[in-house]
Amino acid sequence: MTPLYGTIDEIIRVEGGQVVATLYRMTGQLELAEDSFSEAALEAVRRWPKDGFPERPGAWLTTVARRKALDSLRRESTRPRREEMALALSAPPELDVHTVRDDQLRLMFTACHPSLSREAQVALTLRLVGGLNTVEIAAAFLVPEATMSKRITRAKEKIRSNRIGLRIPPDEELPQRMGAVLEVIELIFTTGHHAPVGAEATRVDLVDEGVRLARLLAALMPDEPECHGLVSLLLSTRARIPTRVGADGDLVLLADADRSLWDRDDVVEAIDLLERTLKAGRIGPFQLRAAISCLHSDARSIDETDWVQIVQLYDMLMVVAPSPVVAVNRAIAVAEVEGPAAGLAALDDVARQPPRWHLFHAARAELLRRSGDAAGSRAALLAALDCPHNDADDRLLRARLSQLG
Amino acid sequence: MPEFVALIWEPRSARDPQRPDFLEYMNGYNAFGEIAGPSIRGGAALLTDDTATTIHVEGGQHGEVVMHDGPYAETKESLGGFYVLEADDIDGAIALARHIPAAWRDGGRVEVRPTMSM
Repeated sequence: MTPLYGTIDEIIRVEGGQVVATLYRMTGQLELAEDSFSEAALEAVRRWPKDGFPERPGAWLTTVARRKALDSLRRESTRPRREEMALALSAPPELDVHTVRDDQLRLMFTACHPSLSREAQVALTLRLVGGLNTVEIAAAFLVPEATMSKRITRAKEKIRSNRIGLRIPPDEELPQRMGAVLEVIELIFTTGHHAPVGAEATRVDLVDEGVRLARLLAALMPDEPECHGLVSLLLSTRARIPTRVGADGDLVLLADADRSLWDRDDVVEAIDLLERTLKAGRIGPFQLRAAISCLHSDARSIDETDWVQIVQLYDMLMVVAPSPVVAVNRAIAVAEVEGPAAGLAALDDVARQPPRWHLFHAARAELLRRSGDAAGSRAALLAALDCPHNDADDRLLRARLSQLG
Repeated sequence: MPEFVALIWEPRSARDPQRPDFLEYMNGYNAFGEIAGPSIRGGAALLTDDTATTIHVEGGQHGEVVMHDGPYAETKESLGGFYVLEADDIDGAIALARHIPAAWRDGGRVEVRPTMSM
Protein backbone atom coordinates (compact mmCIF):
# COMPACT_ATOMS: atom_id res chain seq x y z
CA MET A 1 0.00 0.00 0.00
CA THR A 2 1.30 3.42 -0.92
CA PRO A 3 1.12 5.89 1.93
CA LEU A 4 -1.22 8.81 1.60
CA TYR A 5 1.26 11.12 3.19
CA GLY A 6 4.88 11.79 2.49
CA THR A 7 8.08 9.86 2.24
CA ILE A 8 9.32 7.14 4.60
CA ASP A 9 11.33 9.73 6.51
CA GLU A 10 8.29 11.91 7.01
CA ILE A 11 6.11 9.03 8.15
CA ILE A 12 8.75 7.92 10.60
CA ARG A 13 9.10 11.43 11.96
CA VAL A 14 5.37 11.99 12.33
CA GLU A 15 4.80 8.63 14.00
CA GLY A 16 7.98 8.87 16.05
CA GLY A 17 6.60 10.84 18.99
CA GLN A 18 3.87 8.33 19.56
CA VAL A 19 6.22 5.34 19.37
CA VAL A 20 8.76 6.89 21.79
CA ALA A 21 5.89 7.82 24.11
CA THR A 22 4.56 4.28 24.25
CA LEU A 23 8.00 2.76 24.69
CA TYR A 24 8.73 5.23 27.49
CA ARG A 25 5.64 4.05 29.33
CA MET A 26 6.60 0.42 28.82
CA THR A 27 10.26 0.72 29.84
CA GLY A 28 10.36 3.82 32.05
CA GLN A 29 13.62 4.69 30.28
CA LEU A 30 13.79 7.56 27.84
CA GLU A 31 17.15 6.55 26.38
CA LEU A 32 16.02 2.99 25.76
CA ALA A 33 12.74 4.22 24.26
CA GLU A 34 14.59 6.50 21.83
CA ASP A 35 17.21 3.91 20.90
CA SER A 36 14.62 1.21 20.26
CA PHE A 37 12.63 3.58 18.09
CA SER A 38 15.76 4.49 16.09
CA GLU A 39 16.43 0.81 15.45
CA ALA A 40 12.82 0.29 14.40
CA ALA A 41 13.10 3.29 12.07
CA LEU A 42 16.21 1.80 10.45
CA GLU A 43 14.39 -1.45 9.90
CA ALA A 44 11.47 0.42 8.35
CA VAL A 45 13.79 2.18 5.92
CA ARG A 46 15.24 -1.19 4.97
CA ARG A 47 12.02 -3.15 4.70
CA TRP A 48 9.20 -0.86 3.62
CA PRO A 49 10.50 -0.20 0.10
CA LYS A 50 10.78 -3.99 -0.47
CA ASP A 51 7.80 -5.32 1.49
CA GLY A 52 5.44 -2.41 0.91
CA PHE A 53 4.14 0.09 3.44
CA PRO A 54 2.34 -1.24 6.49
CA GLU A 55 -1.27 -0.21 6.83
CA ARG A 56 -0.65 1.31 10.25
CA PRO A 57 2.96 2.51 10.27
CA GLY A 58 2.76 3.69 13.89
CA ALA A 59 1.67 0.28 15.15
CA TRP A 60 4.31 -1.42 12.98
CA LEU A 61 7.05 0.80 14.40
CA THR A 62 5.81 0.31 17.97
CA THR A 63 5.80 -3.48 17.61
CA VAL A 64 9.31 -3.56 16.16
CA ALA A 65 10.62 -1.02 18.69
CA ARG A 66 9.11 -3.04 21.53
CA ARG A 67 10.90 -6.16 20.26
CA LYS A 68 14.19 -4.24 20.01
CA ALA A 69 13.76 -2.95 23.58
CA LEU A 70 13.02 -6.46 24.78
CA ASP A 71 16.16 -7.78 23.03
CA SER A 72 18.37 -5.16 24.55
CA LEU A 73 16.92 -5.67 28.02
CA ARG A 74 17.46 -9.43 27.80
CA ARG A 75 21.03 -8.87 26.67
CA GLU A 76 21.80 -6.70 29.67
CA SER A 77 19.47 -8.32 32.11
CA THR A 78 21.59 -8.46 35.23
CA ARG A 79 19.39 -6.68 37.68
CA PRO A 80 15.92 -7.71 38.85
CA ARG A 81 14.43 -4.40 37.71
CA ARG A 82 15.45 -5.06 34.14
CA GLU A 83 13.87 -8.49 34.22
CA GLU A 84 10.74 -6.97 35.60
CA MET A 85 10.64 -4.52 32.68
CA ALA A 86 11.38 -7.25 30.20
CA LEU A 87 8.40 -9.09 31.57
CA ALA A 88 6.19 -6.05 31.17
CA LEU A 89 7.42 -5.66 27.60
CA SER A 90 6.81 -9.25 26.64
CA ALA A 91 3.10 -8.88 27.36
CA PRO A 92 1.27 -7.88 24.18
CA PRO A 93 0.73 -4.09 24.23
CA GLU A 94 -2.82 -2.91 24.52
CA LEU A 95 -2.75 0.01 22.17
CA ASP A 96 -6.27 1.34 22.30
CA VAL A 97 -6.86 4.97 21.45
CA HIS A 98 -6.83 6.10 25.08
CA THR A 99 -3.51 4.46 25.86
CA VAL A 100 -1.82 6.04 22.86
CA ARG A 101 -3.33 9.41 23.79
CA ASP A 102 -2.17 9.16 27.39
CA ASP A 103 1.31 8.06 26.31
CA GLN A 104 1.77 11.06 24.07
CA LEU A 105 0.38 13.45 26.63
CA ARG A 106 2.68 12.03 29.30
CA LEU A 107 5.65 12.56 27.00
CA MET A 108 4.65 16.19 26.35
CA PHE A 109 4.33 16.81 30.09
CA THR A 110 7.67 15.11 30.61
CA ALA A 111 9.42 17.31 28.05
CA CYS A 112 7.82 20.43 29.57
CA HIS A 113 8.23 19.48 33.24
CA PRO A 114 8.58 22.71 35.25
CA SER A 115 11.79 21.47 36.89
CA LEU A 116 13.52 21.76 33.48
CA SER A 117 14.74 25.08 32.10
CA ARG A 118 12.64 26.65 29.35
CA GLU A 119 15.47 26.05 26.85
CA ALA A 120 15.57 22.38 27.78
CA GLN A 121 11.78 22.11 27.55
CA VAL A 122 11.79 23.53 24.03
CA ALA A 123 14.63 21.29 22.85
CA LEU A 124 13.09 18.16 24.37
CA THR A 125 9.64 18.88 22.98
CA LEU A 126 11.07 19.16 19.48
CA ARG A 127 13.21 16.08 19.98
CA LEU A 128 10.80 13.74 21.75
CA VAL A 129 7.41 14.89 20.51
CA GLY A 130 8.36 16.55 17.24
CA GLY A 131 10.83 13.85 16.23
CA LEU A 132 13.52 16.32 15.11
CA ASN A 133 17.15 15.35 15.51
CA THR A 134 19.73 17.32 17.44
CA VAL A 135 21.34 18.75 14.30
CA GLU A 136 18.00 20.13 13.09
CA ILE A 137 17.12 21.61 16.50
CA ALA A 138 20.56 23.22 16.85
CA ALA A 139 20.23 24.78 13.38
CA ALA A 140 16.73 26.07 14.11
CA PHE A 141 17.93 27.87 17.25
CA LEU A 142 21.22 28.98 15.73
CA VAL A 143 23.31 27.33 18.43
CA PRO A 144 26.28 25.01 17.87
CA GLU A 145 25.34 21.36 17.62
CA ALA A 146 27.58 20.48 20.59
CA THR A 147 25.72 22.99 22.77
CA MET A 148 22.33 21.60 21.81
CA SER A 149 23.52 18.04 22.23
CA LYS A 150 24.77 18.83 25.73
CA ARG A 151 21.52 20.58 26.60
CA ILE A 152 19.44 17.59 25.52
CA THR A 153 21.70 15.04 27.20
CA ARG A 154 21.64 16.96 30.47
CA ALA A 155 17.86 17.30 30.37
CA LYS A 156 17.39 13.61 29.67
CA GLU A 157 19.70 12.81 32.57
CA LYS A 158 17.62 15.01 34.84
CA ILE A 159 14.47 13.23 33.68
CA ARG A 160 16.07 9.88 34.40
CA SER A 161 17.47 10.72 37.83
CA ASN A 162 14.31 12.47 38.99
CA ARG A 163 12.02 9.89 37.42
CA ILE A 164 10.09 12.65 35.68
CA GLY A 165 6.97 11.85 33.73
CA LEU A 166 6.31 8.24 34.64
CA ARG A 167 2.73 9.25 35.34
CA ILE A 168 0.29 11.89 34.12
CA PRO A 169 0.17 14.89 36.47
CA PRO A 170 -2.73 14.84 38.92
CA ASP A 171 -5.74 17.01 38.05
CA GLU A 172 -4.87 19.78 40.50
CA GLU A 173 -1.49 20.30 38.80
CA LEU A 174 -2.82 20.04 35.28
CA PRO A 175 -3.53 23.75 34.64
CA GLN A 176 0.04 24.75 35.55
CA ARG A 177 1.52 21.87 33.58
CA MET A 178 -0.65 22.56 30.57
CA GLY A 179 0.35 26.23 30.74
CA ALA A 180 4.01 25.24 30.36
CA VAL A 181 3.26 23.05 27.33
CA LEU A 182 1.24 25.85 25.69
CA GLU A 183 4.05 28.34 26.28
CA VAL A 184 6.72 26.00 24.93
CA ILE A 185 4.76 25.38 21.74
CA GLU A 186 4.16 29.09 21.29
CA LEU A 187 7.86 29.76 21.81
CA ILE A 188 8.74 27.21 19.11
CA PHE A 189 6.34 28.98 16.75
CA THR A 190 7.60 32.49 17.56
CA THR A 191 11.21 31.44 17.15
CA GLY A 192 10.35 30.37 13.62
CA HIS A 193 8.27 33.48 13.10
CA HIS A 194 11.16 35.77 14.06
CA ALA A 195 13.80 33.76 12.22
CA PRO A 196 16.07 35.84 10.02
CA VAL A 197 14.74 36.16 6.50
CA GLY A 198 16.32 34.07 3.78
CA ALA A 199 17.29 31.37 6.24
CA GLU A 200 18.64 28.27 4.57
CA ALA A 201 16.04 26.02 3.02
CA THR A 202 17.43 23.08 4.96
CA ARG A 203 16.33 24.60 8.21
CA VAL A 204 13.31 23.00 9.82
CA ASP A 205 10.31 25.29 9.69
CA LEU A 206 9.55 25.98 13.33
CA VAL A 207 6.38 27.85 12.36
CA ASP A 208 4.82 24.75 10.84
CA GLU A 209 6.26 22.57 13.57
CA GLY A 210 4.64 24.83 16.18
CA VAL A 211 1.27 24.55 14.43
CA ARG A 212 1.64 20.78 14.19
CA LEU A 213 2.46 20.46 17.90
CA ALA A 214 -0.42 22.77 18.86
CA ARG A 215 -2.84 20.68 16.79
CA LEU A 216 -1.50 17.53 18.42
CA LEU A 217 -1.96 18.97 21.91
CA ALA A 218 -5.51 20.09 21.09
CA ALA A 219 -6.30 16.62 19.77
CA LEU A 220 -4.91 15.08 22.96
CA MET A 221 -6.80 17.50 25.24
CA PRO A 222 -9.97 18.24 23.28
CA ASP A 223 -11.82 19.51 26.36
CA GLU A 224 -9.28 22.26 27.12
CA PRO A 225 -10.37 25.49 25.37
CA GLU A 226 -6.94 27.09 25.78
CA CYS A 227 -5.36 24.36 23.61
CA HIS A 228 -7.73 25.24 20.76
CA GLY A 229 -7.10 28.91 21.52
CA LEU A 230 -3.40 28.31 20.89
CA VAL A 231 -4.10 26.59 17.54
CA SER A 232 -6.32 29.52 16.50
CA LEU A 233 -3.71 32.07 17.59
CA LEU A 234 -0.93 30.33 15.66
CA LEU A 235 -3.02 29.80 12.51
CA SER A 236 -4.24 33.40 12.39
CA THR A 237 -0.66 34.61 12.92
CA ARG A 238 0.78 32.25 10.31
CA ALA A 239 -1.78 33.62 7.84
CA ARG A 240 -0.03 36.99 7.92
CA ILE A 241 3.51 35.67 7.47
CA PRO A 242 3.64 36.33 3.69
CA THR A 243 3.70 40.08 4.42
CA ARG A 244 5.76 40.04 7.60
CA VAL A 245 8.76 41.33 5.70
CA GLY A 246 9.04 43.05 2.33
CA ALA A 247 11.15 42.06 -0.68
CA ASP A 248 14.06 44.00 0.84
CA GLY A 249 13.86 41.96 4.04
CA ASP A 250 12.56 44.88 6.07
CA LEU A 251 9.68 44.54 8.48
CA VAL A 252 6.32 45.57 7.10
CA LEU A 253 3.83 47.27 9.40
CA LEU A 254 0.31 45.90 9.65
CA ALA A 255 -1.00 49.15 8.16
CA ASP A 256 1.17 48.79 5.04
CA ALA A 257 0.66 45.06 4.44
CA ASP A 258 -0.83 43.79 1.18
CA ARG A 259 -3.63 41.79 2.78
CA SER A 260 -4.46 39.95 -0.43
CA LEU A 261 -1.32 37.89 0.24
CA TRP A 262 -2.58 36.58 3.57
CA ASP A 263 -3.46 32.91 3.78
CA ARG A 264 -7.25 32.86 3.74
CA ASP A 265 -7.49 29.13 4.60
CA ASP A 266 -5.56 29.67 7.82
CA VAL A 267 -7.74 32.66 8.73
CA VAL A 268 -11.01 30.83 8.08
CA GLU A 269 -9.90 27.81 10.08
CA ALA A 270 -8.63 29.99 12.94
CA ILE A 271 -11.92 31.89 13.20
CA ASP A 272 -14.07 28.80 12.89
CA LEU A 273 -12.08 27.01 15.57
CA LEU A 274 -12.17 30.01 17.90
CA GLU A 275 -15.92 30.50 17.56
CA ARG A 276 -16.54 26.87 18.49
CA THR A 277 -14.05 27.09 21.38
CA LEU A 278 -15.48 30.28 22.88
CA LYS A 279 -18.83 28.50 23.28
CA ALA A 280 -17.30 26.48 26.14
CA GLY A 281 -17.41 29.73 28.13
CA ARG A 282 -14.01 29.17 29.75
CA ILE A 283 -12.04 32.14 28.45
CA GLY A 284 -8.28 32.27 28.89
CA PRO A 285 -5.33 34.31 27.61
CA PHE A 286 -4.73 32.22 24.50
CA GLN A 287 -8.37 32.46 23.39
CA LEU A 288 -8.33 36.24 23.95
CA ARG A 289 -5.09 36.65 22.01
CA ALA A 290 -6.47 34.40 19.27
CA ALA A 291 -9.57 36.60 19.08
CA ILE A 292 -7.45 39.74 18.66
CA SER A 293 -5.25 38.04 16.07
CA CYS A 294 -8.30 36.77 14.16
CA LEU A 295 -9.83 40.27 14.07
CA HIS A 296 -6.61 41.60 12.52
CA SER A 297 -6.29 38.78 10.02
CA ASP A 298 -9.93 39.00 9.01
CA ALA A 299 -10.00 42.78 8.45
CA ARG A 300 -9.78 44.05 4.85
CA SER A 301 -7.72 47.07 5.89
CA ILE A 302 -6.37 48.79 8.95
CA ASP A 303 -9.37 51.16 8.92
CA GLU A 304 -11.91 48.38 8.60
CA THR A 305 -10.41 46.65 11.65
CA ASP A 306 -12.80 46.28 14.58
CA TRP A 307 -10.65 48.33 16.98
CA VAL A 308 -13.47 48.78 19.50
CA GLN A 309 -13.68 45.04 20.03
CA ILE A 310 -9.90 44.75 20.06
CA VAL A 311 -9.70 47.28 22.90
CA GLN A 312 -12.33 45.31 24.83
CA LEU A 313 -10.34 42.11 24.33
CA TYR A 314 -7.14 43.81 25.52
CA ASP A 315 -9.05 45.06 28.58
CA MET A 316 -9.97 41.47 29.39
CA LEU A 317 -6.43 40.34 28.72
CA MET A 318 -5.12 42.97 31.14
CA VAL A 319 -7.29 41.31 33.81
CA VAL A 320 -6.38 37.65 33.12
CA ALA A 321 -2.78 38.03 31.97
CA PRO A 322 -1.46 41.57 32.39
CA SER A 323 1.97 42.32 30.92
CA PRO A 324 3.81 45.34 29.49
CA VAL A 325 3.42 43.87 25.98
CA VAL A 326 -0.35 43.64 26.38
CA ALA A 327 -0.49 47.15 27.85
CA VAL A 328 1.44 48.70 24.94
CA ASN A 329 -0.65 46.89 22.34
CA ARG A 330 -3.78 48.00 24.15
CA ALA A 331 -2.58 51.62 24.03
CA ILE A 332 -2.09 51.35 20.26
CA ALA A 333 -5.63 50.01 19.88
CA VAL A 334 -7.00 52.76 22.14
CA ALA A 335 -5.36 55.32 19.85
CA GLU A 336 -7.20 53.83 16.87
CA VAL A 337 -10.54 54.23 18.64
CA GLU A 338 -10.14 57.46 20.62
CA GLY A 339 -7.25 59.18 18.88
CA PRO A 340 -3.51 59.54 19.57
CA ALA A 341 -3.88 61.61 22.77
CA ALA A 342 -5.87 58.84 24.46
CA GLY A 343 -3.32 56.31 23.22
CA LEU A 344 -0.45 58.33 24.65
CA ALA A 345 -2.25 58.61 28.00
CA ALA A 346 -2.71 54.84 28.00
CA LEU A 347 1.00 54.41 27.25
CA ASP A 348 1.92 56.67 30.16
CA ASP A 349 -0.08 54.34 32.39
CA VAL A 350 2.09 51.40 31.31
CA ALA A 351 5.14 52.49 33.24
CA ARG A 352 6.08 55.30 35.57
CA GLN A 353 9.63 54.99 34.28
CA PRO A 354 9.96 54.52 30.51
CA PRO A 355 11.04 50.87 30.13
CA ARG A 356 14.18 49.89 28.22
CA TRP A 357 12.05 48.26 25.59
CA HIS A 358 12.21 49.54 22.01
CA LEU A 359 8.60 48.75 21.10
CA PHE A 360 7.31 50.95 23.91
CA HIS A 361 9.22 53.93 22.52
CA ALA A 362 8.39 53.05 18.92
CA ALA A 363 4.68 53.05 19.83
CA ARG A 364 5.07 56.42 21.57
CA ALA A 365 6.92 57.81 18.55
CA GLU A 366 4.09 56.77 16.24
CA LEU A 367 1.38 58.28 18.45
CA LEU A 368 3.36 61.52 18.91
CA ARG A 369 3.79 61.77 15.12
CA ARG A 370 0.06 61.37 14.66
CA SER A 371 -0.61 64.15 17.17
CA GLY A 372 1.69 66.40 15.15
CA ASP A 373 4.58 66.43 17.64
CA ALA A 374 7.50 65.76 15.25
CA ALA A 375 10.18 66.71 17.79
CA GLY A 376 8.68 64.45 20.45
CA SER A 377 8.37 61.65 17.91
CA ARG A 378 12.03 62.03 16.93
CA ALA A 379 13.11 61.88 20.59
CA ALA A 380 11.03 58.73 21.14
CA LEU A 381 12.56 57.04 18.08
CA LEU A 382 16.04 57.86 19.37
CA ALA A 383 15.04 56.40 22.74
CA ALA A 384 13.85 53.26 20.92
CA LEU A 385 17.17 52.98 19.05
CA ASP A 386 18.90 53.28 22.40
CA CYS A 387 17.17 50.09 23.64
CA PRO A 388 18.27 46.58 22.65
CA HIS A 389 16.76 45.64 19.25
CA ASN A 390 17.54 43.51 16.20
CA ASP A 391 18.70 44.51 12.71
CA ALA A 392 15.26 44.43 11.09
CA ASP A 393 13.86 46.68 13.83
CA ASP A 394 16.87 48.95 13.41
CA ARG A 395 16.12 49.51 9.71
CA LEU A 396 12.44 50.14 10.46
CA LEU A 397 13.19 52.64 13.24
CA ARG A 398 15.76 54.50 11.08
CA ALA A 399 13.33 54.61 8.16
CA ARG A 400 10.75 56.20 10.45
CA LEU A 401 13.34 58.68 11.65
CA SER A 402 14.20 59.78 8.13
CA GLN A 403 10.50 60.05 7.22
CA LEU A 404 10.12 62.62 9.97
CA GLY A 405 12.49 64.79 7.97
CA MET B 1 11.69 3.32 46.74
CA PRO B 2 13.68 6.25 45.30
CA GLU B 3 15.00 8.83 47.73
CA PHE B 4 15.34 12.58 47.39
CA VAL B 5 17.13 15.06 49.59
CA ALA B 6 15.48 18.36 50.42
CA LEU B 7 18.09 20.98 51.30
CA ILE B 8 16.77 23.81 53.44
CA TRP B 9 18.10 27.22 52.48
CA GLU B 10 16.96 30.12 54.62
CA PRO B 11 18.27 33.41 55.97
CA ARG B 12 20.39 32.99 59.10
CA SER B 13 17.87 35.09 61.01
CA ALA B 14 15.15 32.49 60.40
CA ARG B 15 16.62 30.15 63.00
CA ASP B 16 17.26 32.83 65.63
CA PRO B 17 15.60 31.64 68.87
CA GLN B 18 15.23 35.28 69.87
CA ARG B 19 12.84 36.05 67.05
CA PRO B 20 9.36 36.76 68.40
CA ASP B 21 7.68 34.06 66.31
CA PHE B 22 10.32 31.39 66.89
CA LEU B 23 7.74 29.00 68.34
CA GLU B 24 5.57 29.36 65.28
CA TYR B 25 8.65 28.73 63.11
CA MET B 26 9.43 25.54 65.00
CA ASN B 27 5.81 24.43 64.86
CA GLY B 28 6.05 24.65 61.08
CA TYR B 29 8.78 22.02 61.12
CA ASN B 30 6.87 19.85 63.56
CA ALA B 31 3.86 20.10 61.29
CA PHE B 32 5.98 19.04 58.33
CA GLY B 33 7.07 15.99 60.34
CA GLU B 34 3.42 15.04 60.66
CA ILE B 35 2.59 15.72 57.02
CA ALA B 36 5.51 13.78 55.58
CA GLY B 37 5.43 11.14 58.33
CA PRO B 38 7.05 7.87 57.30
CA SER B 39 8.27 9.39 54.02
CA ILE B 40 11.00 11.11 56.04
CA ARG B 41 13.89 8.67 55.92
CA GLY B 42 16.41 10.88 57.64
CA GLY B 43 17.75 14.36 57.97
CA ALA B 44 19.24 16.85 60.37
CA ALA B 45 18.94 20.44 61.46
CA LEU B 46 22.32 22.13 61.32
CA LEU B 47 23.76 24.65 63.72
CA THR B 48 24.36 28.04 62.11
CA ASP B 49 27.08 28.30 59.51
CA ASP B 50 29.34 30.41 61.73
CA THR B 51 29.98 27.11 63.53
CA ALA B 52 31.19 25.54 60.29
CA THR B 53 34.78 24.67 59.45
CA THR B 54 35.77 24.08 55.86
CA ILE B 55 38.84 21.95 55.33
CA HIS B 56 41.15 21.18 52.48
CA VAL B 57 44.08 18.75 52.56
CA GLU B 58 47.17 20.16 50.88
CA GLY B 59 49.43 17.74 49.03
CA GLY B 60 47.27 14.63 48.71
CA GLN B 61 45.32 12.51 51.17
CA HIS B 62 48.07 12.38 53.81
CA GLY B 63 49.12 15.99 53.48
CA GLU B 64 48.42 18.90 55.74
CA VAL B 65 44.87 19.80 56.73
CA VAL B 66 44.20 23.45 56.02
CA MET B 67 41.19 24.84 57.84
CA HIS B 68 38.98 27.76 57.01
CA ASP B 69 36.55 29.28 59.46
CA GLY B 70 33.05 29.32 58.01
CA PRO B 71 30.98 27.56 55.34
CA TYR B 72 32.40 26.58 51.95
CA ALA B 73 30.28 29.12 50.08
CA GLU B 74 29.34 32.49 51.51
CA THR B 75 25.73 32.97 50.48
CA LYS B 76 22.93 35.22 51.61
CA GLU B 77 20.87 32.21 52.65
CA SER B 78 22.56 29.41 54.51
CA LEU B 79 22.06 25.67 54.55
CA GLY B 80 19.93 25.12 57.64
CA GLY B 81 19.39 21.42 57.39
CA PHE B 82 18.07 18.69 55.19
CA TYR B 83 15.58 15.89 54.95
CA VAL B 84 15.91 12.58 53.15
CA LEU B 85 12.50 11.92 51.62
CA GLU B 86 11.10 8.81 50.06
CA ALA B 87 8.99 9.44 46.96
CA ASP B 88 8.03 7.75 43.68
CA ASP B 89 9.38 10.60 41.59
CA ILE B 90 10.21 14.30 41.57
CA ASP B 91 6.53 15.23 41.65
CA GLY B 92 6.00 13.14 44.78
CA ALA B 93 9.10 14.65 46.40
CA ILE B 94 7.95 18.19 45.57
CA ALA B 95 4.44 17.47 46.88
CA LEU B 96 6.11 16.81 50.25
CA ALA B 97 8.90 19.39 50.14
CA ARG B 98 6.48 22.23 49.43
CA HIS B 99 5.31 21.91 53.04
CA ILE B 100 8.78 22.53 54.50
CA PRO B 101 8.51 25.99 56.10
CA ALA B 102 11.60 27.32 54.29
CA ALA B 103 9.73 26.83 51.02
CA TRP B 104 7.04 29.31 51.95
CA ARG B 105 8.34 31.66 54.66
CA ASP B 106 11.24 33.92 55.62
CA GLY B 107 12.31 34.22 51.98
CA GLY B 108 13.78 30.72 52.09
CA ARG B 109 14.14 28.07 49.39
CA VAL B 110 14.14 24.30 49.32
CA GLU B 111 16.42 22.50 46.89
CA VAL B 112 15.24 19.01 45.91
CA ARG B 113 17.70 16.48 44.53
CA PRO B 114 17.55 12.79 43.79
CA THR B 115 20.06 10.58 45.57
CA MET B 116 22.26 8.15 43.74
CA SER B 117 20.90 4.63 44.03
CA MET B 118 23.64 2.30 45.30
